[in-house]
Amino acid sequence: MATRIEVLAPPEDGRGKTLEKALKKQGKDVSIRVVDVYSSEHAMAKDDKFVTSLVNPVTQKANDLPKDFDWALEIGFLPGVTDNIGHTTSELLELAGADNDNECYSSRLYLIKGDLNQTDIENLSESLSNTLIQRVSIKTGAEFKADGGMETIIPKVHLDNKGAVADDVDLNVSDEELEVIGNQGIANDDGSRRGPLGMSLLYMQAVKDYFAKEGRAAKDIELETIAQTWSEHCKHTIFASPIDDVKEGLYKGYIKRATKEIRESKGENDICVSVFSDNAGGIIFDDEYLITDKVETHNSPSALDPFGGAITGIVGVNRDCIGFGQGAKPVINRYGFCLADPRTSPEYYRDSAKTTSVLSPETIMKGVIDGVEAGGNQSGIPTPQGFVVFDDRFVGKPLVFVGTIGLIPREINGKPGHEKKANAGDKIVVAGGRVGRDGIHGATFSSVALDEGSPATAVQIGDPITQKKMSDAIIKEIRDLGLYTAITDNGAGGMSSSIGEMAEQSGGFHVELEKVPLKYPGMAPWEIWISESQERMTMAVPPENVDELVALFEKRGVEATVVGTYTNDERAKITYHGEVIMDMEMDFLHDGNPETPLKTTFTRGGEEEPSLPAPADQAETLGNMLGRLNICSKEFISTQYDHNVQGSAVMGPLQGPGRVYAETSITKPALKSEKGVVLSQGLFPRYSDIDTGAMAAAGVDLAVRNAVAAGVDLNQLALLDNFCWCSSDEPERLGQLKRAVEAIYEIAVKYETPFISGKDSMFNDFKGFDKDAKQVKISAPPTLLASSIGVIPNVDRAISLAPKAVGDVVYLLGETKDELGASEYYDLHGRLGNNVPETDSHQNLRLYKLYGRASRDKLIASAYALNYGGLAVALAKKAIASQMGMDIDLSGIDLSTEKAMYSESTGRILVTVSPQNKAKFEKNFKGFEHCYEIGHVAYGNTLNIQNVLKADIEKLDEAYKKPLKDY
Amino acid sequence: MTANAIVLAGYGLNCEEETLHAFEYAGLKGKIRHINDVIENPSELDNAQVLAIPGGFSYGDDTGAGNAYAQKMKLALWDKLQEFVARDTLTIGICNGCQITANLGLVPAFDKNYGERLVAVTHNLTARYQCRWIDLKVTSNSPWMDGIESMHIPVAHGEGRFMMNEDTFTKLKENGQVAAIYTKDGEAAGGEFPYNPNGSIGDIAGITDETGRVLTLMPHPERGMFTWQRDDYMEAKDKAQREGKNLPETADGILLFQNAARYFEVAQKKSA
Repeated sequence: MATRIEVLAPPEDGRGKTLEKALKKQGKDVSIRVVDVYSSEHAMAKDDKFVTSLVNPVTQKANDLPKDFDWALEIGFLPGVTDNIGHTTSELLELAGADNDNECYSSRLYLIKGDLNQTDIENLSESLSNTLIQRVSIKTGAEFKADGGMETIIPKVHLDNKGAVADDVDLNVSDEELEVIGNQGIANDDGSRRGPLGMSLLYMQAVKDYFAKEGRAAKDIELETIAQTWSEHCKHTIFASPIDDVKEGLYKGYIKRATKEIRESKGENDICVSVFSDNAGGIIFDDEYLITDKVETHNSPSALDPFGGAITGIVGVNRDCIGFGQGAKPVINRYGFCLADPRTSPEYYRDSAKTTSVLSPETIMKGVIDGVEAGGNQSGIPTPQGFVVFDDRFVGKPLVFVGTIGLIPREINGKPGHEKKANAGDKIVVAGGRVGRDGIHGATFSSVALDEGSPATAVQIGDPITQKKMSDAIIKEIRDLGLYTAITDNGAGGMSSSIGEMAEQSGGFHVELEKVPLKYPGMAPWEIWISESQERMTMAVPPENVDELVALFEKRGVEATVVGTYTNDERAKITYHGEVIMDMEMDFLHDGNPETPLKTTFTRGGEEEPSLPAPADQAETLGNMLGRLNICSKEFISTQYDHNVQGSAVMGPLQGPGRVYAETSITKPALKSEKGVVLSQGLFPRYSDIDTGAMAAAGVDLAVRNAVAAGVDLNQLALLDNFCWCSSDEPERLGQLKRAVEAIYEIAVKYETPFISGKDSMFNDFKGFDKDAKQVKISAPPTLLASSIGVIPNVDRAISLAPKAVGDVVYLLGETKDELGASEYYDLHGRLGNNVPETDSHQNLRLYKLYGRASRDKLIASAYALNYGGLAVALAKKAIASQMGMDIDLSGIDLSTEKAMYSESTGRILVTVSPQNKAKFEKNFKGFEHCYEIGHVAYGNTLNIQNVLKADIEKLDEAYKKPLKDY
Repeated sequence: MTANAIVLAGYGLNCEEETLHAFEYAGLKGKIRHINDVIENPSELDNAQVLAIPGGFSYGDDTGAGNAYAQKMKLALWDKLQEFVARDTLTIGICNGCQITANLGLVPAFDKNYGERLVAVTHNLTARYQCRWIDLKVTSNSPWMDGIESMHIPVAHGEGRFMMNEDTFTKLKENGQVAAIYTKDGEAAGGEFPYNPNGSIGDIAGITDETGRVLTLMPHPERGMFTWQRDDYMEAKDKAQREGKNLPETADGILLFQNAARYFEVAQKKSA
């Protein structure tokens, strides 16, 4: 008999009140009571001791619901979906004396009184739930009474055990059938398919040949493992393949080569320690520590379940940090979202029957923000650094970037902290959460475009607390005892990837799959092996250390299990209850994928340069520019992300008394060191409409320039590249890619800022149907996110964007050119133009070096690296940040007024300098032809641009903060 | 002998390192202890003079912030905790620790009735996590607050709203057990967001037991203990440079921890 416990929150509960407010805005006057519901089949769930442990007697009541309401709306999870509250409830039941294998489930009930009709309540339900992962029950007050309340639902997973064996797969079939297997998956007995392997015919033929050579049929688990290992997501085949005449491919030929050349050129000043070989990149922080960085994307899952996709992304990249070297401590999170306008409601469907609609931009925006909030905040990692960029082509597939910076001792147990190696004979130990069906085919799925066949099982929800327990146990205790020889995380591909990759160090593995702890019985072996259930780390543990390690984890409430042994027989081998179900050559598994040479074409985009009339009201136009989504304040995100946990925040996400949303942050990750970590990024997706080379160069330049402006020396700076491309099977898109890669090679080498880590996501396309059921394909603009990480010797060198004192002199450093192509100003007028900003890395390098000297001498009071919206927007942001006036004269810039104001030429920094430092500052830049004194910080409350505009700062402030204020 | 502080950890608490750093900087000795280790060896509390339950997200705030961790402590450690607060010791709960302390009933503990839950620290009125700097006015004679009038430190919580019945509220005020309130321009914020970031009754940011030795506080003093941590650091640093002055190293938050150190120094001198 199942027990249902309903805990009623007080009428003034914040969750209910906020919902009431939101409905009021839509003209609905309602009152809402929130009820937290806990359900369990366990006999002890009825006990008072347990029930009272769920109720706060000061404000809550158990099983005593009010009678007077019009609607009851309950939202719970579907079977198998991660239920974190349910998980904690199970632990409370255990504390109350139950065994530890009890299952509890949570749901939330809203009792609503007010004038809502059926449609209203359905709309409300839709805004509060996601039917992909949640179930909804709705009853009228009368139905509720008649039924005696809501039903007790136990969303337990029931799998038939039929699947619990490994099946043979016949590959001696036609090429057509091979293609179907590659695209849609292995056939089940009933003819249905198991979901995409994401393998081309060429790949399938290679697999067929291999098993012909082995003289036996392939097992399903073998095919699934190959598919994971060879997937674009894991193998980065597009960056690795020969492309045109670049035989070694884009990654080795450009990105890795840039780093190699820079490191050689810098010699003993090289800051890199671990690049491209581990879960993150690592550079020197100080004599004691390395600092690591990794940025990931989680785009496809976030399109289907924004919250689950984003939280899984952030806790996933945290594990990349924990899995760096012998284990790094996560000290900072980054986020970044590319989204469609949340104020619009475009109509798109996944299927031609128009039954499954694409989530609204607002739902996606709120979901991904909440996901990073829950994951980052609950993990106790500050999230000071991020961005949001809007373009309506992100409607079907948003880009969700998540990154984690780690701190790791340079030496651990007498060995370099960044080194590790699994040895033959070491036991394979997996620690953390259990394995369920979640995330099956995540790796292969993210390597293809989203369409109606996109599998719901690809969605999962992270469990930050399970991970926090595991992370603390590893980073704060076990690591320093030297009990494991290697560690890595379980991400895409689950154990098939983590164990497979670590086994490359020893030369093989033997897994006994029945030893893997499962969330529920009945999973097929291949599902267990490739499941992407979260919060797990895989370790290589010498046999004599196993007992101690497992006991230590247990003491911290973390399950750790031996699942096999690393070997050196060059075989990838799995047994299941004694039967061999996988036995392949390691070589074939890792390097057997046939080369696929790529061909490219390239056509520059762009339209004719428009000739726009001067705005009638310049101040109003500036206000409109400030209110554009790519420019306006995102303060509502910063205040819900804990950005000062760990006590390390120096320069936060909101700067100056006027709280301007900043692009650069500074953190002091080691409490006892004076040094700071500077983080920033740059990206300009729209520039790709004209030239992906200009797009990529501008992104790298901004990532570097932001950090330099904040006080980092160029030689203390490293970069990360994240390519989010679209339709990467088309020569033209590949041509755009090649051009972007060439551009960042050139600029990185020029600046001597090495790439230390990168990731790509190559198919950000949405294939679906519009409101007329017409087939559409919407491709995200090709986007390079460049992220920068640097170290400053003392945080007192930090330079923020807000001017500090009236009377300070304003200088513009760098050249303003006629470059409004793809700019915010042209977009405001619905135009694209042609003159996209071209980055002059030679000129910029001169400036950044001179600037570095000035910042070392503390001559600069404030600095802002110009980007979206150009100079006028930068001036306005400075005025808003400081809440001080400005008197500016742009007549020295040899361009028309609008071009001078809104050109997005790269390589420019707007600074303020105190009068006492003016002479020294000018001397510092003597001989640099692009140092312009353009005015001063003034008394009063206006931004005054001579002969152009006089704008009230209060009005600018409102224009800047209003658009996203109420989200 | 320097006083010993135990800073708890585990199950999602996450501010233990910076909290320990604050105590050590103030001159106390301290160590971080996982709750399971303290449960296994409760006599550790006998040798400690300060118990700190730091901020964090124990059990993910599921079933109410601080509830599950408090349940765990109550079941396994309650007798030891009662003994501890009955001695001449200091206890502080910060943020998640504040929620845990309130759920344990270590505050307000009228008439020494430790264990009775009389205040709830629950969902912010905005139903949203708030990470921002706030101003506090100190309204108590707690040894933790000795000599402090106001503080500029941050909050970071999703459930920081003190709720209680009218009786409890009146009694807290009458007894001087309200430790600090949120202010705007030096006066009580009157519930106005964001000065009062969570809608707390009477703008309450923290309360104490009757002795003042047990303090529970939603804002984070350990995130505002050094000048470089402050939200106005960039402005202050620039001003100091112009005036040719040095900035003080410490900020408001450290005072609480220094008070703890001083409390035991004075006690020691008295007994000597």
